[in-house]
Amino acid sequence: MTLAADLRLVLGADRVLDHPLDLQIYAKDAGVTPGTVAAVVFPETTQEVAAVVRIAVVHEVPIVARGAGTGLSGGAVPTRPGLVVALTRLNQIWEVDEAAHTAWVGPGVINLELSQHTTPLGLHYAPDPSSQSACTIGGNVGTNAGGPHCLAEGSTVSHILAVELVTAGGDVLLLGGAAPDPIGLDLVGVVVGSEGTMGLVTKVLVKLTENAPEVRTLLLAFPTIEAAAETVSSVVAGGIVPAALELMDRPMIEAVENFKSCGFPLDAAAVLIAEVAGHPAAVEAEAQLVADAGAAAGATEIRIAATAAERDLIWLGRKSAFGAVAYAAPDYYLHDTVVPRTRLVEAMSGIYEIGERYGISMLNVFHAGDGNLHPLVAFDAKEPGMLEKVRAAADEMVKLSIEVGGALSGEHGIGLEKRDLMGEMFSAVDLDAQARLRDAFDPIGILNPDKVLPEGSRCFDFGLVANLDPESAA
Amino acid sequence: MGWETDHAPRQDELDGCVTCGLCLPHCPTFRLTGSESASPRGRLAAMAAVAAGTAEVDERFEEVMGLCLQCRACEPVCPSVVPFGRAMEGARAEIAVQLPTRRRKLRAWLLGRVLPSRTAVRVASMLAAFAQRLRLHKLPIRLLSRIGGLRRLPLGGPSRAGESRTAAGERVGTAALLIGCVQDAWFGSVNEAAMELLTAAGYDVSAPSGQSCCGALAAHDGAAAATERLAATNVAAFANYDVVVATAAGCSAHLAGYGEWASGGEELADRARDITVVVAEAIADGRLPRLPPRAISVAMQDPCHLRHAQNVVGETREIVSAAGYEPVEIDDKGLCCGAAGAYVLSQPKTSDELGLHKANQVRASEATIVASANPGCEMQLRFHLGDRYDVRHPIELYAEACRGFS
Ligand SMILES: Cc1cc2nc3c(=O)[nH]c(=O)nc-3n(C[C@H](O)[C@H](O)[C@H](O)COP(=O)(O)OP(=O)(O)OC[C@H]3O[C@@H](n4cnc5c(N)ncnc54)[C@H](O)[C@@H]3O)c2cc1C
Ligand code: SF4
Ligand code: SF4
Repeated sequence: MTLAADLRLVLGADRVLDHPLDLQIYAKDAGVTPGTVAAVVFPETTQEVAAVVRIAVVHEVPIVARGAGTGLSGGAVPTRPGLVVALTRLNQIWEVDEAAHTAWVGPGVINLELSQHTTPLGLHYAPDPSSQSACTIGGNVGTNAGGPHCLAEGSTVSHILAVELVTAGGDVLLLGGAAPDPIGLDLVGVVVGSEGTMGLVTKVLVKLTENAPEVRTLLLAFPTIEAAAETVSSVVAGGIVPAALELMDRPMIEAVENFKSCGFPLDAAAVLIAEVAGHPAAVEAEAQLVADAGAAAGATEIRIAATAAERDLIWLGRKSAFGAVAYAAPDYYLHDTVVPRTRLVEAMSGIYEIGERYGISMLNVFHAGDGNLHPLVAFDAKEPGMLEKVRAAADEMVKLSIEVGGALSGEHGIGLEKRDLMGEMFSAVDLDAQARLRDAFDPIGILNPDKVLPEGSRCFDFGLVANLDPESAA
Repeated sequence: MGWETDHAPRQDELDGCVTCGLCLPHCPTFRLTGSESASPRGRLAAMAAVAAGTAEVDERFEEVMGLCLQCRACEPVCPSVVPFGRAMEGARAEIAVQLPTRRRKLRAWLLGRVLPSRTAVRVASMLAAFAQRLRLHKLPIRLLSRIGGLRRLPLGGPSRAGESRTAAGERVGTAALLIGCVQDAWFGSVNEAAMELLTAAGYDVSAPSGQSCCGALAAHDGAAAATERLAATNVAAFANYDVVVATAAGCSAHLAGYGEWASGGEELADRARDITVVVAEAIADGRLPRLPPRAISVAMQDPCHLRHAQNVVGETREIVSAAGYEPVEIDDKGLCCGAAGAYVLSQPKTSDELGLHKANQVRASEATIVASANPGCEMQLRFHLGDRYDVRHPIELYAEACRGFS
């Protein structure tokens, strides 16, 4: 029987898609590279996920987990005809433990809706990617998502206590637990950020965070990017860790204001969004510190949101940034690198220089507080040769970030689009170790193959360090 | 292969989508299915595939487009400002031409000829009125059962076509009333309220007799030729008025897009307003009164074509509070009630699921009066809520309160 027919036996006709049109619809996520899909399934329980995995194994079809498909690096898109397992219907909030500040949730639960659900308890789920109104907890686990407020709170991995995982063999594992420091290896840490290569996450125990009693959001405008970056450095050097520190350059401000008037000054070269949260007295003092640092660096405008509505509007502007770029061009390629905060200014000018040299139009928005850069190239993929040019510029930008002591990907994952740059970061031995860890979870290489690790990551692929590998040495 | 009509989704509309996915959670059909193929981004991808020649306008394409409610909840949340509703009407127009089934031709005739005919609608509503009295809606036939969602119909009643009234008090301008197709026959009291309030607010009001149905339902169904014909008729009929007022959200939203359908349509679109906008403005200006509060709550239901297509939200609350009621919110997500014009009949399963969901939200609010500014939504709500609830247009609530006061 065909793959689709076997799947329909388990899930029924409605929950399996294999019409060529549906396969094209599922060929992309929010990134730019399309893949090839063999079928799409919508399981509703852990058991159904396991059954679907076993069927795919029998048919030797790669398995790719998909949440909301807001990933920016092709993580949720199969590279060769593969089975897309949509986990959107596993969207129950199973249990909220008010005393322990934890919740068991399905991977299909939308990030923001989890926080809305726990608002009455004075709790929220802290990692807040800009896509939080749409992306899923499962996808966040897959990519170890970060967000503006991860500066103080840490990224997804700091907020996941346990996961239920369906392995490549179709077994169901429970990793981690409610205890703050469970005994044994930290396998939850291995799964978070593994982009669906270690297994399919079917349940997640998340940590919830208390809402801060007081929040103050500031919008600072600067005549130069450098002045904004300097403010970031001096705020952090001044010993405070704001809840968020986000920087946007002028082209990005224009794109956002075109979508919705969020009150960002159109004549500024850059704006900095800073948020401080905590006890009222501390918040007052810290907000003053940020304002002073901005003034010292030459801020032309310093505005403090007076109402919740004003604060929401500032964040709406920030969180619409990536989507708003179609104003500049139909496609975009988003970079994701981290550089040491002290070398922010240097990295930024290098990136602008690369953009200019390739003659591509760039917009910038980033988590300045932790040096996570998101230079964004707006282009039209239908222009011949454009995609190649953009990719070449991208490679240079990543190399530059690594040169100044930074790293590939802060948060959007490696997926397909950044896979071949892994070699810039890691030695052959590092990559081999990662590949073998992956093999331990997925010995047949059926879970999201071709992602994260470049071809040849396993040392025996090269026979380079054969002495490290008992099997190939034998 | 590819597109065949002038109304087809345009390349710049499709290129506008950067596939960010931020619209997904706002789409009712995506919420119900979790499927990309039932999402705005997926539908745009399907249209893009046809444009690129990698897919055809086939039955699956029709299904993917057909499940869309055309509620346009995906529009205001799209940071890239993709005109989704326009592109979807284009896709429907293509389906109508490329997959011409007998059913669709029959629908095009119904929506393009029968609905705009005042006589035909009168005859139909008379039949419906008899059916109500014979309690035929208790029969297990979908079309008939829907009569249960109608207000109790009069066996006959005046059309407002051709009527005109002069402004009371200081005159601010001239207003033309689009009486609508079903609105005129089935919701006459809404049009009556509109005329009263418009004159009280200082407008000379007419309901020009040369007008026809606005064409929204025809456009949603892809009946492009009928849509163009109806739009041209209205452009001529409404030429000389300061404002053109529609009392159904679906109509005012469609008038706002007339630029696509008729020459001179853009100009008419600039003058077109929903009645709730005009009345709220008059209340704010002091041309219409604010009545003293009484402790009765009214559940606010936002028609998609006001909330999403026209960003009209505060206005309806203003009107309901000016009438003395306490507006209560029922749904912060703004999911469609599932009426969506002819959708009730074409996609019964999804329509019922959404209708039940909305009805439960109303029940949870504990209000027994619901304000809804669109006849389709009203019928859907009445049908799913049953007799204990009263569903009214906000301006009807307000006009009645004013009458009681003068
Ligand atoms: C406008 C916009 C703004 C963004 N802002 C941010 C930001 O601020 N910070 C940030 O980190 N990211 C950001 N992103 C990227 C993206 O939203 C995140 O990577 C998010 O975590 C993806 O979630 P998703 O549900 O869409 O997952 P998908 O895109 O569907 O999947 C992402 C990866 O996770 C895997 N996966 C999904 N579900 C599961 C599961 N249940 N089990 C195992 N693996 C799974 C997939 O295979 C894939 O590799 C942004 C994206 C957009 C479009
Ligand atoms: S929000 Fe707009 S740009 Fe983003 S996927 Fe939806 S339609 Fe496309
Ligand atoms: S119009 Fe409504 S149903 Fe159609 S895609 Fe947009 S949100 Fe979904």
